Amino acid sequence: MSGPKLVSILRQGPHLIASIHTALDDTEMERFREDLVEQIGRHRSRGVVIDVAALDVLDSFGARTLRTIGEMARLRGAVTVIVGIQPDVAFAMVSLGMDTGTVATALDLEEGLAFLEGSGARRSGAGRIGAPAARAVPR
Amino acid sequence: MVRRVIAARVADAATVDDLVQETLVRVLAAAGRVEPGMLEPYAIVTARNVVTSQWRERDRHQRNQHRVVDLRPSAAVDEDLLAREERDAVAQALTRLSAQERDLLLAHEVSGRDTRSLAGELGSTAGAVAAQLNRTRARLRVEYLLSVEGVEPPTDRCRPVLLALSGGDRRRQREVDAGRHLLECGSCARLSQPLMERGQPREDEVRVRVESDADIVAARQAARELASRLGFSRTDLTLIATAVSEIARNIVRFAGSGEVLVELLEHPHQGVRVVARDTGPGIADVERALTDGYSTYDGLGLGLPGARRLMDEFAVVSEMGRGTTVTMTKWRTGR
Ligand SMILES: [Zn+2]
Repeated sequence: MSGPKLVSILRQGPHLIASIHTALDDTEMERFREDLVEQIGRHRSRGVVIDVAALDVLDSFGARTLRTIGEMARLRGAVTVIVGIQPDVAFAMVSLGMDTGTVATALDLEEGLAFLEGSGARRSGAGRIGAPAARAVPR
Repeated sequence: MVRRVIAARVADAATVDDLVQETLVRVLAAAGRVEPGMLEPYAIVTARNVVTSQWRERDRHQRNQHRVVDLRPSAAVDEDLLAREERDAVAQALTRLSAQERDLLLAHEVSGRDTRSLAGELGSTAGAVAAQLNRTRARLRVEYLLSVEGVEPPTDRCRPVLLALSGGDRRRQREVDAGRHLLECGSCARLSQPLMERGQPREDEVRVRVESDADIVAARQAARELASRLGFSRTDLTLIATAVSEIARNIVRFAGSGEVLVELLEHPHQGVRVVARDTGPGIADVERALTDGYSTYDGLGLGLPGARRLMDEFAVVSEMGRGTTVTMTKWRTGR
């Protein structure tokens, strides 16, 4: 593959920082999932930050894939936190009626890492968007 | 074809002009009771002008030179033969017009009568006459193309669709479901190219062919880009792009291929309309498909109901074995 990288996955101590740099189609999103889950195993990572700040859309497939990554990572002993969901994207996700499931979210990379350092297996340190109660669409 | 038509015209332009000048007087004097043989030279000149002005325009934009009507110019071209072929096509096209249509067109294009004086004579309005002239030109272009391409329209729906495209009448195009017909009918898809490339490319609509994952991204980006010209808020742009993503994915997953058409609206408010069409198997139970949690593929089942929540208006029409059309609109000042 040539051209600018679509995603990057970097190691930082016991954690992985995965950044999505541009809009991904479904196939690319699935490849990202596979690569990330594979690296969690290879590096025995304890935590994963997924930075989606560059995404201008997170539709049902994108959100579901992130959720799947989080659940697969959990089964492999790692905690996942999604950071950088843009306000408009968050609003669209809530309107669409979806959320990130049990996967934690944080405002940005710094808070995401802080969450991983501080919590380990704890799930309450960061907020979750689009919980069922928030489904009523603000108009 | 542009070059062929022009070459054929140049070849006998002087003769044609003379002929027009000479017989014009007689035709005008005959006032409606023109012998068919007399009418023909005018009719052909007129038709040529109407037809070639279209392709000159197209040539200027240098678009799709390889398309069906471009028969490559060659040094060996027999101009007499070309002129004859063209005359035959035009003559045949003219026979498809009614006598009334033909007379009106000739009076305007050949005799130079303006729409107001024609309206006075017909007890009509200038606007109505102009509209009638546009319809007639549109018909002539369609009939000319069919004739020159040697195409017999395979279905009853073909002519109405081609006419709506030729006239550039978007309301009529929707009424006859032109977009769907072009997905289904190879003949019309081919002929539609030269018909739709008339004049300036449209600034207020974009059409994206959808058959792969990458097209889903392309469709939502095109929708966002177009809608941004109306000054939608960032939040609304994201809602629109997300909705397009959902319905484009439905096309790829359920139908295999289709298209997404995005158009800007000015009436009754400013807004953006998205029409997603496919030629897939159709949805057996649309009501159910619009229900949350319902899913026929390995997903959240948010495609249709999700997209509906993001837009202001939403309609699904589906026919088993023919496909599905989703039409959804977001108004800029709708709330
Ligand atoms: Zn047809």
